[in-house]
Amino acid sequence: MYTRRGRAVGASIATVLALALAGCGSSNSGSTGAASSPKQGGTLKLLGASDVDHLDTASAYYTTSYTLERAFSRQLFSYPATADVSKAINPVADVATEIPTTANGGISADGKTYTIHLRSGVRWNTQPVRAVTAGDFVRGLQRLCNPVSPVGAPGYYTNTIVGMKQFCDGFAKVPGNAKAMANYINTHQISGVTAPNDTTIVFKLNQPASDFLNILALPFASAAPVEYLRYVPDDATFRQHTFSDGPYEITKYSANKEIDLDRNSAWEQTADPIRHQYVDSIQIVQGQSDPGTVQQQIQAGTADMEWDTVVPTASIPALQASNDARLGIFPALDTNPFLIFNFQSPNNSGALKKLQVRQALEYAIDKVAIGQIYGGPKLNTPLDQVIPPGNVGYQPINLYPTPDNRGDPGKCKQMLAAAGYPNGLKLNYVYRNAGNHPAVTQSVQADLKKCGVTVKLIPQTPADFYGKYLANPSGAQQGLWDIAAPGWVPDWYGNNGRAIVEPLFDGRTYGPNSVDYGDYNSSKVNSLIDQALAQPTADKAAPLWHRADMQIMKDAAFIPFQTQKTAVYHSSRVQNTIFFPFAQNYDLTQVWLQ
Amino acid sequence: MTAQLGTAADTPVTPAGVSTPIAGRGQLALAWSRLRKDRMALLAGTVILLLVAIALAAPLIAQVTGHQPDEQFRQTGLTSAGLPVGPSREFWFGTDNLGRDVFIRVVYGARISLLVGVLSTVLAVAAGLVIGLTAGYLGGAVDSTLARFMDLVLSFPLLLFAIALVSVVGPSVPLAILVIAFFSWAAVGRIVRGLALSIKEREYIEAARALGASNRRIMLIEVLPNLVAPVIVYTTLLIPVAIVFEATLSFLGLGVLPPTPSWGNILSDSLQYYQVAWWFVLFPGLALLLTTLAFNLFGDSVRDALDPGATQLAGTR
Repeated sequence: MYTRRGRAVGASIATVLALALAGCGSSNSGSTGAASSPKQGGTLKLLGASDVDHLDTASAYYTTSYTLERAFSRQLFSYPATADVSKAINPVADVATEIPTTANGGISADGKTYTIHLRSGVRWNTQPVRAVTAGDFVRGLQRLCNPVSPVGAPGYYTNTIVGMKQFCDGFAKVPGNAKAMANYINTHQISGVTAPNDTTIVFKLNQPASDFLNILALPFASAAPVEYLRYVPDDATFRQHTFSDGPYEITKYSANKEIDLDRNSAWEQTADPIRHQYVDSIQIVQGQSDPGTVQQQIQAGTADMEWDTVVPTASIPALQASNDARLGIFPALDTNPFLIFNFQSPNNSGALKKLQVRQALEYAIDKVAIGQIYGGPKLNTPLDQVIPPGNVGYQPINLYPTPDNRGDPGKCKQMLAAAGYPNGLKLNYVYRNAGNHPAVTQSVQADLKKCGVTVKLIPQTPADFYGKYLANPSGAQQGLWDIAAPGWVPDWYGNNGRAIVEPLFDGRTYGPNSVDYGDYNSSKVNSLIDQALAQPTADKAAPLWHRADMQIMKDAAFIPFQTQKTAVYHSSRVQNTIFFPFAQNYDLTQVWLQ
Repeated sequence: MTAQLGTAADTPVTPAGVSTPIAGRGQLALAWSRLRKDRMALLAGTVILLLVAIALAAPLIAQVTGHQPDEQFRQTGLTSAGLPVGPSREFWFGTDNLGRDVFIRVVYGARISLLVGVLSTVLAVAAGLVIGLTAGYLGGAVDSTLARFMDLVLSFPLLLFAIALVSVVGPSVPLAILVIAFFSWAAVGRIVRGLALSIKEREYIEAARALGASNRRIMLIEVLPNLVAPVIVYTTLLIPVAIVFEATLSFLGLGVLPPTPSWGNILSDSLQYYQVAWWFVLFPGLALLLTTLAFNLFGDSVRDALDPGATQLAGTR
C-alpha cells in the first residue's frame, strides 16, 4: 500500500503537478495524428527524471512503470488504445480470448466463478521461444505476495479471490531467498485460482465483484515465466533478467540512468489485439529533473516524449495560444489535490470532529484560485464531491456552493461562530515542499485567513509528508497536523469505487497503511461500500457509490478542490499519439515516427 | 567599536591631498578619513543605507502602494490561466504566481535579508572573537582543542548539514540565523586566533603581565583592540555571504517559511515562470545582486582604508 499509485504520483518530486487524467472532451486537442499511415522503424526517445519504482510486474506501481509495462508485459485483460475515453477505461480481452459474461459461460450464474480461456500465439522471448500458459498467470498472482517485494495493493486480490489471503499469510512467513520462495510457490496453491489446462484459468471469488476484470487488468496480474522463480523478486539480478510477452523487450536496464527496449521477435501482431510494434526501439533516459528542460528538448526535437516530468504549467497557456499541435490536453478523471481533515486532532479542543466546523470550512476555499495554480480554468474544473466525472457513481453534487466557486468567507465565518468558534481556529497545515504544493498551500492559507482561521505551515519532503504525518496515526492523535492536501490517482478508472471511495473513506481500515488519513469513519458509508462492492454489475453499484458520495459530502469529510486535465507533449515526428489514461502518458505501443 | 568610529568622525578632516599635521590620531580615525575620500565606498555605503531605510520603512511603503506582502490579487494580479502579470502602474514590479505584488515582496524581502545577514554575522563575529581570542591567547591544550573544533566546523559540508538539520527541526528564521552563524564563526575564529597568537608575544603584553594584569584584562584591554580593524573588514565581507546563504536556504525551502517573502523564496517561486514572467525573477535577483555588491564593495573599501597589511597597530585607546 505504501506505493499506492496515488501516492506514487505525489511522492515523485519530478511529477511536479500530478496532473490528472484525461479522455476526450470538447477541449481535446485532437492531436492523435491518425492522418498518416503507420510507419515502421526509428528510436522513440523519452526523457525524464527518475527510475521506475520497481521493474517487477508484481510490485511496479508508478504511472511511469505502467507506461513501460504496457510495452513488455501482457495481462488477461487490458485497456484498449483509443481516443474515446468512455471506451479507454473499460477492459477488453488481451491474452484472454474474450470478455467473460454470464451469457458466454465465462461467469457463473452466481457471479462467483470466472472461467477464462487464453489466446494462442502469445509467447515469451525465452530461449527457445515458449507459449504463455495459464500456469504463468497463476504464478504471476502467486508472486504478488512474496515477502521481499510484494504488491502495493494486496487488498484487491486478497479481498476478492478465494484462498488468496491464506496463501499470502503463509507466503509472508517464508524466508526472503529465491529458493525458499520458489519452493513455496511450487508447493502451495491459491485455492481460488486453478489452471485445468495450459489455456484455461478459473477464478473463484468470495462474492460477486463487478470490477474483477479491472483488478485482473492491473499490470500486477501479468503473467510471470517460470524463470522468474530463480531470482529474488525485483532485486538487481532480476532487473537484468526480465522476460517479455509484449511487443518490446528490455535490452538494457541501468538504474536511475537508462532503460532501452527493442522489438521482441517472439511477439506476433496477430496474437495481440491491443498493441503494435511500430518503432524499432524505445530509449528512456533519466536524470533530467527539470520539467522545463525536458519540455525544451522535446520542442527542439532532441527528445520525443516526457517520461515522468510534466509540461510546465507556466508553458501551457502559450502553447495553447499558439495552437501547438504537439500539445495534448486530456480530460480529467482524477481529484487532485484535495483538503483532508484530521478527525483525531485534539487541537482547538477537537474542533475538526464537529460537523458544523468542517461544513463552515467547505465554504472557505476559492477553487478557481487553486485552478489558476494548475494552469487556469481551461485545464481545471472545480469539484464539489468525492467521485470525479468518468468514474462509477458520478452524479454532480454541490452541497456547499459559493459564488463562482470563489469561496464565501462571510458564510464560513458566520458558521464557525455558530459552531462556537467566533474567534476562529488555529490549524496545523502540513504540506509537501515541492512542485505546486507550496502555492496551493499559500492559496488555502489566504482563504482560511479571511474566514478567521490561522494556519501554521509545516513544510515536509514528500516522503515525510506521508511517512511522518499522514500515514502516522500516533502523530495524528497528537495533533501534529490538522489539515493537509494530498492527491489521489485511482488505480483504474470507470468501475472504480474500490479504488476511490473504499480506500479514501472506509474508516474500518484506519491505521498506518490506510489512505483514509484523517480517520473519517461513518457506519452509513461503510455499509454502502460493502453493498456496492457486492453488486454483480457496475450499473447496480453506481447508485450505491453515489449515495456514499452524498453521505461523505454531507459529513464534510474532506474538501474537494477540482479535477485536472492532463497536458502531454510530444515532438513533431511522433505520430498516432493515443493517450493511455492508466499511465497518464501516450501509449508507447501505438506511436510511430515520421 | 562604533563608539570609536564615532569619536574619530568628530575630529576635523581636511580635504584630500592635504596632509594633516595633527598628531596622535588613532588608526581607525585615519581609516575613516581615507574611507570618506573613497567614492566607491560612499556609493556603496549610500546603497546600504538606502536598503536599511527601505527595510525599516516597508510597512509605510506597503501603505502607499496599498498592497500587503502576502495579499493575493487573484483577479487583477493573475491572468485567468494563472500566469503572473507584468509591471504596470498598479504592480510596479509585476506580480508573482499567486497574484502578489513583487515590488512589495522585494521590499519586505530586504527586511529578512538584512536581519538574517546582520544578525548572523554579529553572532558569528562575537563567537569567533571569543573563541579565537581564548584559543590564541591562552594557548596550550585550550588552543589545540578549540583550534581542532574550528577545523571540524570548517570542514562540515554546510548545505548538507543545513538540509539535515532543517528537516529535523523545521525551517524558521531563528534557525536560519543560527545555522549561518554556526558556519561562519570558525573563519573569524581562525583569523582572531592567529592574530592573538602573535600579539601576545609583544613586549607591551609582557609588560602588562609583569605589572600583574589578569589574563582577562590583557585579553580585553590589550589584545582585543588590536583585532578590531581586521574584524571590521571581515564583518563587512561576511554580511553579503550571510545574505546569499539565507537566500540559498530559502530558495531550497529551508529558510524563511512562506508566505513571508525573502529574496530566496521569491527566486525559488519564480523558477517555474522565468520563461513567461521575467519580472518575477529579475527584480528579486537584482535586489540580491545590488545588496551583495554594495556590501562587498564597501567591505573592500574598508579593507583598503584600514590597510590590514600594516599589522603594526598602535593601541587605539
